[in-house]
Amino acid sequence: MNNQTRTLGRKFMRFLRGELGLLLILLLLCVVFAYVSPYFMVERNLLNITRQVSIVLTVAMGMLCVILSGEIDLSVGSTAALCGVAAAWGMKTTGNIWLGIGLALGLGLLVGIINGTLVVYARIPSFIVTLATMGILRGVCMVWTNGKPISNLPESFSVLGAGYVLNIIPVATVVSLLLVAVFYVMLQRTKHGTYIKAIGANREAATLSAIHVDRYKVLVFVAAGLMCAIGGLITTSKLLSAQPTANVGLEMDVLSGVILGGASLSGGIGTVVGTLLGSLTIGVINNGLNLLNVSSYYQEIVKGIIIIFAVVIKRNKATQ
Amino acid sequence: MNEELILSLRGIEKSFGGVHALNGVDFELRRGEVHALLGENGAGKSTLIKILTGVHRPDTGEILLRGNPVTIADPIDARRRGIAAIYQELSLIDTLTVAENIFLGNEPVVTPLGVSRTRQLYADSEAFLKRFGIAISSHAVVGDLGLGQKRVIEIVKALAINAEILLLDEPTTGMSRAEIDTLFGIMASLKEKNVTMIYISHYLDEVFRCCDRATVFRDGRNVGRFQMAAATVPELVRAMIGHTVSGERYRPAQTADGAETVIEARWFQSAVMRHPVSFRVGRGEIVGFTGIVGAGKSELAGSLFGAHRKTGGELLLHGKPVRFRSPHDTRAYGMAYIPEDRKSQGLILSDSVEDNIVLPHIEQIENRLGLLISRKKRAIAQRMGERVRLQPPDVRMKAGNLSGGNQQKVVLGKWLTAEPDIILLDEPTRGIDIGAKAEIYRLMTQMADAGKTVLVFSSEMEELLSICDRILILCKGGIVGEKQVGDATVESLLTLALGADCDE
Repeated sequence: MNNQTRTLGRKFMRFLRGELGLLLILLLLCVVFAYVSPYFMVERNLLNITRQVSIVLTVAMGMLCVILSGEIDLSVGSTAALCGVAAAWGMKTTGNIWLGIGLALGLGLLVGIINGTLVVYARIPSFIVTLATMGILRGVCMVWTNGKPISNLPESFSVLGAGYVLNIIPVATVVSLLLVAVFYVMLQRTKHGTYIKAIGANREAATLSAIHVDRYKVLVFVAAGLMCAIGGLITTSKLLSAQPTANVGLEMDVLSGVILGGASLSGGIGTVVGTLLGSLTIGVINNGLNLLNVSSYYQEIVKGIIIIFAVVIKRNKATQ
Repeated sequence: MNEELILSLRGIEKSFGGVHALNGVDFELRRGEVHALLGENGAGKSTLIKILTGVHRPDTGEILLRGNPVTIADPIDARRRGIAAIYQELSLIDTLTVAENIFLGNEPVVTPLGVSRTRQLYADSEAFLKRFGIAISSHAVVGDLGLGQKRVIEIVKALAINAEILLLDEPTTGMSRAEIDTLFGIMASLKEKNVTMIYISHYLDEVFRCCDRATVFRDGRNVGRFQMAAATVPELVRAMIGHTVSGERYRPAQTADGAETVIEARWFQSAVMRHPVSFRVGRGEIVGFTGIVGAGKSELAGSLFGAHRKTGGELLLHGKPVRFRSPHDTRAYGMAYIPEDRKSQGLILSDSVEDNIVLPHIEQIENRLGLLISRKKRAIAQRMGERVRLQPPDVRMKAGNLSGGNQQKVVLGKWLTAEPDIILLDEPTRGIDIGAKAEIYRLMTQMADAGKTVLVFSSEMEELLSICDRILILCKGGIVGEKQVGDATVESLLTLALGADCDE
């Protein structure tokens, strides 16, 4: 009994040591915003943050897999927008919500396969592949919609982005947290997560350990594509309209969240809990600055500075 | 060639942290000769080169350059004094032209604004290349040249800053036959221009072709000086290894006649192998593959394990032809591979010992839902840790924090977990202490006694003599001989491996 509590205690300490720095930064930001704005520490607002952050969080799960395997995906914003447009187009033309959702997911899958195949089999660095597809997919969005939003979607579709569970918890929050749980189990508790991390940490050792490196590299991009599709669906559902210019710059918020969460861009290192905290931090910064009526021009500057500080503080913690 | 000494070393000693790398070396170099430095790895050749190029300073002893005692402060000082080393790794810039490379940092004519006069640069370069009879255009971009031509440009670059003594360290590494011929041709024309060269190579046939004299090093001393015209291969080999070693055996040698053939290569070749190879190994046998650095041991080992694309011949396991597209395919056949470089190929250093051990057999620690059970992982890792006698016996330690010998035990344990039938070990004891070596030999004999097939790829011939039943000798990518361990000596293996008989 005594022994058991001791190992539990040790596990908790290890958890704190891993994510404590980030948790402290997040809490500190909350205290600061609560002090300067009376609207911040309100139940509604806090739940609102979780809804705002749900898109970043969902896409960040896919991005985390890609980063863990030692690659990067810059095309997430464009992919999410394209999947949102596809969903709206599907719903408009068929009148069936589920067909629209299926179309979005299928397209996300396809984008993932294309990105992964170009990286693995055409041997083009993922930075270059996804930089290119980022532009291409955004262009496809524009051509498809003629640059105009697709609006007047079926009212019932708004549940995903604007609905509430038990009249208080946003549906988008619940969906994103469920996905976090799925990725937590997948990355921490199954062989797939172990393989993805091994590939990112030492590709050659992974190959010689009889791991299908190429297959897993494609799979991480597919995971990213699917998460983009869900992110795009939430975006579209929130407004009941698909904007071809939606999710511009999403890759920046997602990458910031993953990096704040302690992931290493060279691969092999990163956790789901860290990414969750990192994405929440980004969400809190966005929300707090909005409440303070900071102009969006300044917001970008402040966000960048906070990210640099957070990473420096976290690294000092780690090296101690 | 004249008798004038351009360089002489007297009583050079150098130690690193109590280990004597050089133990009283006397060496002399005559102007205009090509002088070979011979010796096994660790004999002191590289330390000597580093002292001549100013990387290290000798602890005691005297360096006389053109008769005057000198202190070589650093590599720049060495160059200023006319000593230039041509290393295996090239220092050329691929995107610049030949002329630009030759005069990089040393441009002949510069305008007041710092712009070099292009025409002058190319004219000077052409003159240089012509003087040494080199048929490479000054305007060629270096990246487009072959390895042999690049090495020639590297030499010309050294000559452009008036080097009189060239140190050529394994200059033919990776070169084709024709490129080697060209290099030797250029060396001959340099000799006519009275350039002095020190030539370091493992290949005795090359040394006989291009050198005038040779100095043999062993254990940090110069143990013999030979006129190449009068020297013989056995003489040189005996000087290099010194005494005949009577190795203690870890296991009585077995003859595998009649044993079932487990792995057989028939004119097997892969994309990274220079020649096809044929051999067969039976059940319960330990067979060694030896050869010097660059003989193709690692390439062969990796190819057998499916890490490189097969380009010809057949590989048969238990009499049936197999084709591996990746190392993953070898799992079904119970094959395991301990790679040469445990840090970059064998382990994930940032992970714990237990994570490393279970990585290739992760299915063993899954429950029915496919979730990983850390209790099972620890149990498997601990059992394996005991079997390989891991020190310290804590499987939660980071692999990167273990000593080299224990890291190697983890790599071995990683593969023994699958109870493989065929195990390939590439340089299994490189850089590890004597205790860990003994453990690894014990594990290998244990496996062979249990009827497994063990293939060891190693350049340490004494090691192979002490553990193998049979030894195959590789030279320049091909198998050049086979010895039953009872008939073999370090001397006979080294003679074959040094290429005295394998002149294609």
